[in-house]
Formats: sequence, C-alpha cells, structure tokens
Amino acid sequence: MGGKAHHNMAEDLNWAVGGEAGDGIDSTGKIFAQALARAGRHVFTSKDFASRIRGGYTAYKIRTSVDKVQSVVDRLDILVALTQRTIDENLDELHEGSAIIYDGERSWEAEIPDEMTAVDVPLKSLAEEAGGAIMRNIVALGAACEITGFDVEYLDEALEKRFGGKGSKIVENNKAAARAGQEYVRENYDLDHLGYNIETTDNDYVLLNGNEAVGMGALAAGCRFYAGYPITPATSIMEYLTERIEDYGGHVVQAEDELSAINMSLGAARAGARSMTATSGAGVDLMTETFGLVATSETPLVIADVQRSGPSTGMPTKQEQGDLNMALYGGHGEVPRFVVAPTSITECFWKTVEAFNLAEKYQTPVFLISDLAMSVTEQTFPPEAFDMDEVEIDRGKLVDEDEVDEWLDSQGRFRAHAVTDDGVSPRAIPGTTDAAHMSTGLEHDELGRRTEEEDERVHQVDKRNRKVETARDEEDWDYREFGDADADNLIISWGSNEGALVEALDYLEEDGIDVRVISVPYIFPRPDLTEEIEAADDTIVVECNATGQFADVIEHDVLTRVKRINKYTGVRFKADELADDITEKLSEEVPA
Amino acid sequence: MSSDVRFTDFKSDKQPTWCPGCGDFGTMNGMMKALANTGNDPDNTFVVAGIGCSGKIGTYMHSYALHGVHGRALPVGTGVKMARPDIEVMVAGGDGDGYSIGAGHFVHAVRRNVDMTYCVMDNRIYGLTKGQASPTSRSDFETSTTPEGPKQPPVNPLALALASGASFIAQSFSSDAMRHAEIVQKAIEHDGFGFVNVFSPCVTFNDVDTYDYFRDSLVDLQEDEDHDPTDYEAAKEVILDADKEYQGVMYQDENSVPYHEQHGVTEDMSEIPDGAPEDAMDLVREFY
Repeated sequence: MGGKAHHNMAEDLNWAVGGEAGDGIDSTGKIFAQALARAGRHVFTSKDFASRIRGGYTAYKIRTSVDKVQSVVDRLDILVALTQRTIDENLDELHEGSAIIYDGERSWEAEIPDEMTAVDVPLKSLAEEAGGAIMRNIVALGAACEITGFDVEYLDEALEKRFGGKGSKIVENNKAAARAGQEYVRENYDLDHLGYNIETTDNDYVLLNGNEAVGMGALAAGCRFYAGYPITPATSIMEYLTERIEDYGGHVVQAEDELSAINMSLGAARAGARSMTATSGAGVDLMTETFGLVATSETPLVIADVQRSGPSTGMPTKQEQGDLNMALYGGHGEVPRFVVAPTSITECFWKTVEAFNLAEKYQTPVFLISDLAMSVTEQTFPPEAFDMDEVEIDRGKLVDEDEVDEWLDSQGRFRAHAVTDDGVSPRAIPGTTDAAHMSTGLEHDELGRRTEEEDERVHQVDKRNRKVETARDEEDWDYREFGDADADNLIISWGSNEGALVEALDYLEEDGIDVRVISVPYIFPRPDLTEEIEAADDTIVVECNATGQFADVIEHDVLTRVKRINKYTGVRFKADELADDITEKLSEEVPA
Repeated sequence: MSSDVRFTDFKSDKQPTWCPGCGDFGTMNGMMKALANTGNDPDNTFVVAGIGCSGKIGTYMHSYALHGVHGRALPVGTGVKMARPDIEVMVAGGDGDGYSIGAGHFVHAVRRNVDMTYCVMDNRIYGLTKGQASPTSRSDFETSTTPEGPKQPPVNPLALALASGASFIAQSFSSDAMRHAEIVQKAIEHDGFGFVNVFSPCVTFNDVDTYDYFRDSLVDLQEDEDHDPTDYEAAKEVILDADKEYQGVMYQDENSVPYHEQHGVTEDMSEIPDGAPEDAMDLVREFY
C-alpha cells in the first residue's frame, strides 16, 4: 500500500476512474479533467489500458493542482471503481486516506481495505432515474465532486462541451445524473469533503495530449499532406489531421501499409508540399526501407515515431523509449538525418514546427521521436504556450523560376544536387520552368543522374553530410535545464521523462539532495555535454529502456562512464519513484 | 503547357544502357509520344520509376522524376498527384516491381483510382538480375532459380486490376509503336488510374515471350475485333481468356471519378503562408 503521505504541494489531488475497456472510462476521465481545467486547475492525466476495445482493465488517472503538474505519482486519493480489479490493480497507490466510489448494487462484492473510505453509490439506479443507465459514470463524477467539495458547475461546463452536439436534452440529463450522485453522497455520508479544499482560479487552460500537439504543430507549420497506416499509439495524430487538414487545403491518405505511407509522403514532398508520416517502432521498421532514399534524393520529410514497447509486437499499449538506436542508425549505408525528441507536450508542438523547418532547410529526413506516455497524456496549459504568432516558416533554398538560371549548368540543365559550400542544393518543385530533373536512390551526379565515378560519389556523400555539419553550426541544439545549476549531481534525460524529473526535484530537495537536470530534446545533432559531465561528481542518465541507449551515446561522446536508471516495465516514470531511484543510484559506486 | 512540345523534348541526353533490341526502347518512345500528344511538357510532368531494367526510364526521359525504391513507385506517384493535381504523373515499372514486390501497392493504387498513368514493362522475366522467373513467367519457364519452371500459374495483372476495381485496363506491345502510343495516350486522358500492361520483350533472357511470339499471337481488340471497352462483361471475358493474348483497351469506366476529385483535393499544396495560418489560434482554443 502506498507509503507516501500527502505530498506537500498545495491542493494536490490524485483521482482515477477504472473499469473494463468499453465502460466509457476514457471519456469519463476526460470530462472530469476538463471540469478541473475549467476551474482553472492544472491537470496531468495518464492511462492504463490494454490493446483491445472490450474487456480487460483500463483506467484514466488525473493528478490535479493549482500549480503546474507534469508527472504522475505513486498515490491515488479518490478512485471510481467499476470493477474489483480496478481496486486490486491500484492497491499499491491507494492509502489509508483514499476514498473508493463503487456501486454496491452491482453483482460484484467490493473488497475494500478497512482503513479506506468506501462510498457505495447506486450508480446504475440513479442514472436510470436521471434518464438512462449509460450515465452511471456521470453519477460517479457527481459523487466525486461532493466527496472533494468540488463545485459541480464546473462539471456542467465539461458536460456541455462533451454532449453539446447531441442536443440540450442529453446535456440536461447528464447534469441531472451528476447532481443525483452529488446529492446521494451528501445525504448518506458525512465525509466533510475528507479535508479536501479544491481551490479554483480564474485561469483558463487548454487540455491536450502529445499527439494532438504534434498534429497541431504540423498544421501550424503548413503541413498539407500526411499518409499513414493506423498503429497504436500514433493513430491519433492521423485522426487529428484527418479532421482538420482539409480546412487548410491538405489531405490525409490512409495507406495500405507503412511502406506505402512513407513513399506517398515522399512523393508529396517532392511535389513541394510540407509532408509527414507518423508511426510507431514496428512501422518504422518498414519505413526504414525508404529512409535512405529520402536522404539521397534530398527530400524534406518529417517522420514521427511515437514509441511503444518492443521488440516485435512487444507490449503495444505500453510505454518505452526503445527506438533511439533505430532513429540514429536505422537503414543500410550511412544516412544523414536529424533526430529530435520533444521533452513535453508543448515541445511536441514546437519541435514539430522546427522539424518541418529543418527538413526543408536541409532537405534531409527528420525523425521526430515521441512516446506512448506523452501521446496519451492530457495536460493543461495556458493557450499562450502555443502562441501561433511565434511560429516561423523557413522553406530553405526553394527556388522560383527567376532563380533557376543561376543553378543551370553550361547546357541548361538544372543542378538539383549541386555541390555547395554549405551542402544544401537549390530545390525546384514540379511546374518550375526549366528546372525539370531527376532524383534517385542511386548515387548520382549534380544533375541527379546515376554515377559510379569515384570523385562524384565522394562529392555527393560529403555534401549530404556537410548539410548536417552546417546545421550543427547554424541551429541551436540546446538542452533544457532544471534544478540547481551548481549541483554536484547531474541527471540527464531525453524525451518525455522531463516532467517526472522536474517534480522529482521537489522530493529530492525535501531530502536535502541538490540535483541539476539536463533534458535533451536533440538526439542528433545533440549538445556536447562534456563540460557539464566533467563538472559533476555524479552523472545519471534516465530513460525508459533496458539497455540505456542514450547513456551509451553519452558515454561515447564524453569518453567516460555514467550511471543509469532504466525502466522497462511498460509504465512511465513517476516523480516520487524516480526520486527514490535517484537517491539510491547516487549512493552507488560509479561503474568502472 | 506549350503547344509545340515534341516527344523528343522528353528525351534526356543520357544514352540508354538497355540491351540492343530491348522492348523498353519502344515502350519509352510511346510514353513520350503520348505525353507530348496530350499537351504535356517536361516541366509539368512527373515520372516515377521503380527498380529493374524498367526503372532506368527516369534517367533516359527528361522531366521531373524520382527513381525510387523497388516496388514503391505507385505510392510515390500517389503522393505527387495529391500534392499537385496540376501535374501529370506517369509511373513506370516492370512486372517484378508491379506484380511481385509492389503487388500490394498495385491493388490499392487501382482501388484508389488516383489520376495517373501506370505503364508496366512486362517482359515476363527478371532482366537486371540476369534471368530469374518473374510473377508473369509461364509455369514451365526454366530459369536459374526455377530450373524446372516456377510450377505456379503466372499472375494475370489485368484480372488483378479488374478484381481491384480498376477504371481503366489496357495492354499494348512495345513493338507496335503506333498502337502502343495510342493506348498510353488513352490512359493519360482517362480521368483516373490508367493502367497499361506493356509487353516489352527481353531479348537476352526470355526466348519464349519474344517479339515473334507476340507478333504472331496478339489480337487487337479494337482493330481485329469489335470490343467495347465500356462493356464490363465483355471486358471480363477478354481479360480472363487464357487462350489468347490481346492488345488494346479492355475496360474503361466512363463515369470514373478520380481520387482527388472524390476527396475534394484541388489545391496546390506546395503553397503555404509565411507563418502559421491566420486563424491558427482557433486550433488551440478547441482544447478549452
């Protein structure tokens, strides 16, 4: 049973709803999250789910506070349990102050540890009275409002958003269901809100997940074409774009497989569109076939990999950061590329915008690596976090008809792969007069025609690699930094672990441990961390994989040994758990 | 588009390395003539080529072109056409590219009915790898990898297209230059996916499906017979007729609506604003 007492952060509440897949758990949780966001509270959500539509345990968990929250913790305060398994699965996180809402009229006998508060509410019966059994989860939300003293009117706002499209009758029924739950608890229990005081603010937050942020970033960046093949957990990027891209004159194609998806996206990019595809590791395996072609034909393309647990089919609905090596080294031959790994949901947006600029400026494939945890986590942000006025578009050396002349050879042929000082060649798209040219996966000359001539080969390989060197000099490949910059203990992370690490700092501080956190969003090119690591007594690299792929890279860069914290259970890091891991790891000897 | 485009404008200055007498010369010439005859020019044409002897066509033609990965030419063509409905897209490949490694894409490109032309240079052999069985090789055709023949029936690409819901199915013979160019022209003019299986003999590795064989056996559906390509039942009959080799347009759906029109894709996707779209903050507000 969860040992940690109430975290000292003000107004921190951990809430969950769980049941069988098909019980409407996801939408129930989302409604409560939106209600909290409407109340000006910050929200961070996580999901436990299995790769099936019906049956099996699933839960939607919310951590909420008036302060920014960016991690899950190992604690659950209020649980709406539609099944016994929901209780059993969460025993480690429940504590003696926890309250469990369940429906005693249902066939299962709830076994709830004595020290917890059992709140038996006839969810189904009350829902039927309000207009239909389908609303039983909403009754539970009303009960949860009463238990915590949270104003049910915020829930009304969320219900209006969720059901507004279905007519006022449905909305009113749901509001009535919520009130039935609220009143039942008020009349039958004397809980005094269990001591909770759910403070509200005037702040107006948006609530979105990492995949939605990637999709929104793509639209902001002018992405007009997307081809993909459905795969967990990347599909929701495709769904987001499908719903909106046509408003901007774009289109989404559901391809027959990932081989096709990347080639369609490549075709659209060669035709001049900002184009992307997204998949998960198993799909990247297939796309790798075309990766070299993207690079040698010098086509700007964004390839998003929303990682999940592998190898093979692995654990398709579980978290892992196992694809770093594939992103860095995948594909036969030597393939110049950029690898960018957003470290938060806002960064999912900004790094997607940046990925499109990098792709076009350097006519090089850009790997955008996210992961399952970030893809399904919904988090609140002030809307200014996605200030569209800050979005910049850089299309690189895209030449128009007036500029074609300076790139023609003595016989009037367009030098699409011209060898230049910065490695970047002019890019002409179909329809540009006098610039017709071929590109190919074969080694080629400046005109794009096949060659096996030694000098030409070397010139082309060098110029493609020179683009990466140019980018290394011209772009910022910064890391993000948190904690105490002068601390002797250095923690390095990549991707979505940033939030848990930042919150772990609070726990460590309570224990008197100073830590400097470096969160790295750029995997290639990446910041040189030699000075930072040499300045620290202890360096730990934190990542969600078994072998420490990023730690290997860092050790190679800096020519020293680092400590590693690896989690590969399929579940993301939790802030409190991570604080414990760090404390323990700091006490160990540095590996030889 | 200029009206004075000649088919030689589609020729690059690179000399083909196909074997002397290769059917691919005639196939390519007919494609270039058909492109010129339909008012296209190299600057508004995109040729996608696969891998194999046929795949070299992108090098020998002059246009915007991509020589891609083995079997994936059709998806590339699909992407080009979606992004730029104004561009003429011509996809070329061989029987291995289209019916073996790329068979899945063939089925779905046909289904999608993207407005592009697909010419498959079918020589019933793998030429570039020096003579192995292809998906259209006869079941008793002996090769280095099938010493007693593949012992499996050849793919009937026309039937595969028909079963996949094709809106235009044709077959031509590279040596019958005029008819071949005419048929490809019809495929270009078709509103949708114009599929032409082109008999394009390999003079080096296939001594069965030769020029003489096709000259002697080919029946022209339009010139020798009175075939109506808009008659689906009649099309089915000639496509499934295992006793004869045909050339001509087997099937054409006159009511074909290409994919981009079905999906309302009309804009040139290459043009985007200098920053985020004007109303982009609405995308954020959606998440309130």
